[in-house]
Amino acid sequence: MANTLRLYLSCIRNTLDAAMCLQNFPCQEVERHNKPEVELKTSPELLLNPILICRNEAEKCLIETSINSLRISLKVKQTDELENILTKKFLRFLSMRAEAFQVLRRKPVQGYDISFLITNYHCEELQKHKLIGFIIQFMEDIDKEISELKLSVNTRGRLVATEFLKQFI
Amino acid sequence: MDAATSRPAVVIDNGTGYSKMGFAGNIEPSFIAPTVVAVNESFLNQGRTPSKANWQAQHSAGVMADLDFYIGDEAVAKSRSSSSYNLSYPIRHGQVDNWDAMERFWQQCIFEYLRCDPEDHYFLLTESPMTAPESREYTGEIMFETFNVPGLYIAVQPVLALAAGYTTSKCEMTGVVVDVGDGATSVVPVAEGYVIGSSIKSFPLTGTDVTHFIEQLIRERGEHIPSEDSFEVARKIKETYCYTCSDIVKEYNKYDQEPAKYIKQWKGIKPKTRAPYTCDIGYERFMGPEIFFNPEIYSGDTSTPLPSVVDKCIQSAPIDTRRALYKNVVLSGGSTMLKDFNRRLQRDIKKIVDERMQATTARHGEELKVQPVEVNVVSHPIQRYAVWFGGSVLASTPEFFAACHTKADYEEYGSTICRTNPVFKGMY
Amino acid sequence: MILLQSSSKFLLQTLLNRVNNLEKAVELDYQWVEFGDVRYHIQVTMKNPQYLSLSVSLPIPPPETIFYGGLPVGALEAIKAAYIGIVQILDPPRDGFNLTLKLNLSKLPAQDEQRQVLLVKIASVREVVLGAPLAVVLRSLSSKTVSPNLNQLVAIVHRPKESFFVLPQAEKVTVIFPMRFKDSIDTILATSFLQELIEARRSAGLQNAPLCSWSLSPPPELKEVPAEALSANAGFVTFVIYPRHVEGKKLEKTVWSLSTFHAYASYHVKCSEGFMHSRMRRRVDSLIQALDRAKPDSEASMGTGQSKSFKGLSLKDSRTNSSS
Repeated sequence: MANTLRLYLSCIRNTLDAAMCLQNFPCQEVERHNKPEVELKTSPELLLNPILICRNEAEKCLIETSINSLRISLKVKQTDELENILTKKFLRFLSMRAEAFQVLRRKPVQGYDISFLITNYHCEELQKHKLIGFIIQFMEDIDKEISELKLSVNTRGRLVATEFLKQFI
Repeated sequence: MDAATSRPAVVIDNGTGYSKMGFAGNIEPSFIAPTVVAVNESFLNQGRTPSKANWQAQHSAGVMADLDFYIGDEAVAKSRSSSSYNLSYPIRHGQVDNWDAMERFWQQCIFEYLRCDPEDHYFLLTESPMTAPESREYTGEIMFETFNVPGLYIAVQPVLALAAGYTTSKCEMTGVVVDVGDGATSVVPVAEGYVIGSSIKSFPLTGTDVTHFIEQLIRERGEHIPSEDSFEVARKIKETYCYTCSDIVKEYNKYDQEPAKYIKQWKGIKPKTRAPYTCDIGYERFMGPEIFFNPEIYSGDTSTPLPSVVDKCIQSAPIDTRRALYKNVVLSGGSTMLKDFNRRLQRDIKKIVDERMQATTARHGEELKVQPVEVNVVSHPIQRYAVWFGGSVLASTPEFFAACHTKADYEEYGSTICRTNPVFKGMY
Repeated sequence: MILLQSSSKFLLQTLLNRVNNLEKAVELDYQWVEFGDVRYHIQVTMKNPQYLSLSVSLPIPPPETIFYGGLPVGALEAIKAAYIGIVQILDPPRDGFNLTLKLNLSKLPAQDEQRQVLLVKIASVREVVLGAPLAVVLRSLSSKTVSPNLNQLVAIVHRPKESFFVLPQAEKVTVIFPMRFKDSIDTILATSFLQELIEARRSAGLQNAPLCSWSLSPPPELKEVPAEALSANAGFVTFVIYPRHVEGKKLEKTVWSLSTFHAYASYHVKCSEGFMHSRMRRRVDSLIQALDRAKPDSEASMGTGQSKSFKGLSLKDSRTNSSS
């Protein structure tokens, strides 16, 4: 189980290493505009082939690259209903704070749970390998946080239920 | 849900010092509690070693600590009696600083104090005029996601204070709100229900400063008040005996000539020895509130008196609003309830305005006829919770429910809808 | 703060205020609502400051519950028993309310402790009225007398248009709650909480607590109940109460805990959502710190002047800089 996680993450890391070669590219259609081409998808010569890395049916990662921007979309595993809502809540919480994260996209791409948008400006500001390290850590953290949340909710429920039942004794 | 609109809305006014909460349609708030949360920190400081064995225990301890907290007066009492509770003030200078504490504060307000089901009521919350829009988004997130409220409206405090004047006279949505609270004093001009953000002025002295000044004067005179009580005693003296005079010198003379008429006695009991003591209250009665009109007697840095600040604020507002602003200066906040505060403020502002008019007439001679500016400082009996009362009045109008952001909108569009809270028909 | 208190904080505060200032004539007219759609109205007039008029409105009962004269079974007797001497039940009650009580505050017991107990009891008027039918059933269990409804299902209202069911039997009383929640997230969290409740009951220290069980479909005791009363999206919780749970002082507490079980579950679901927010905020902070570490190391050694300009740049700033 942990093995596949390591493989999955290292595969993503290698792909990002290769894909993250972004350069500044002013918009071709509109003068003086500079847009992330991966979002617009208007000029096929600026886009590279998207790569889909699947860990299993439930978890996958889509990496789309263009000349000046890179979009990473993740689908996170959800085993039961509780994990489902916890994931949704947590990712919605994170997406609302996308400004603080800079590389996070406010709305996930259709069919995925959360998305990142990295532009050439981010690569100029932040070191490339550290940025990739951050994304990998982010993915690990999401998994960890969901399971910890689930555990806390259950522990809390147990404590509260115990207090309730103690009243009757 | 329709059922929710048939029930009174919940109005919570969160200020830096005190939070007022209650139901719409009532004159007074149900509870006035200090905005403070006491959290049990003893659990969190137990050894940070992440060994598997005590991780489970630490985890439960952490969860227990989250359930074990108090707010308001209980929090203050708990922190004094036991060292394991730490006080935290979620709101500083009108802005929410600590969202965790704020969420817990609201949780206790709703479930422990008001004891209502948040899913059944629309909510009216307040904020200070200088709040960032992100703060409204976070408030909306907490209200809609944690408490599942059906509808939410976040109003600006000065606008509500203006609305509090509804029942007494006509609905004037243009005016200057002078809000003297516990934590901050601000002068905010409002035109047609919208705050003129660039003209907001703040005044550094507050009600707490009046209390400190009275405490200082009493101590300098050598009265024997036990030191741990002196702030509380000064506060009670302020609320019972203080008033605003029209001229300090004349007042001093009055006191010197007839001491028996003006000097009051304060009787108290020393907490440790239970021995009774009395204390004379003399000049503090009028010197306390005087710091608003002559700040240099208390603090060396401030020299602009409150009437000048109000005048500067109006002069910095757009020229077409100025007359309306002078005509409707509204007071709000507990410290403005000092006797005759409104008359003194009105007189001083009128003096400044008249001087300016005379200077203009003198410069232009007979060519220009200046219409006299009417200055009116409005005071009404509900000043202490004017903001809360304004909220209660507004939330009782039928248009309120339509102006709120609903949970359905939140689910559809996200928390950005909470950024704007339009002025609605019921307000004017 | 973990458990819901039976007395209303505001009502108690108002009563204490009035009692301490009985001579001061004041005008008081206040309305408020509590969870479960219980509305209150309190009034004191200037001319009779010692009289306090308290009106209570109860949630709309579903068709299967029985109300006599607008009040649950046994409520009138319970009120008369609880507030002897100081209360007068006004008939008809105030418009829009099920019950109006006129309290004579000058007739409260002079001794401080007794007076406090009585005031707390007045502030718990909700428990007295709404909990009356359950109290009747549990009292006969505790006194081992034959209950009037032996082996018959009794429906008691606890929320607007919703009720829970009580089945009194010879040596035990079975209480069944159909749990309904409006919000889908609440429903899932509540289901997990209820399962934890069952797990907690199995733990060592709680052997003497009432037996509890949870099932997704209606338990066999409810087979005669009409279908609308049985739509529950978070399952059914069954408690079995034995005489040891209702002897002496425990009776009142048991009545209150059971009457407000649904409110308690709902309260804790919301608190856990708040708790999750705290955790998530902490996690966001740690992630942002990780992102900050991703900034190039060389800046730290370059000196404050240069690092300041980098720190100040956000995405918007850098974009305008690059394109200008």
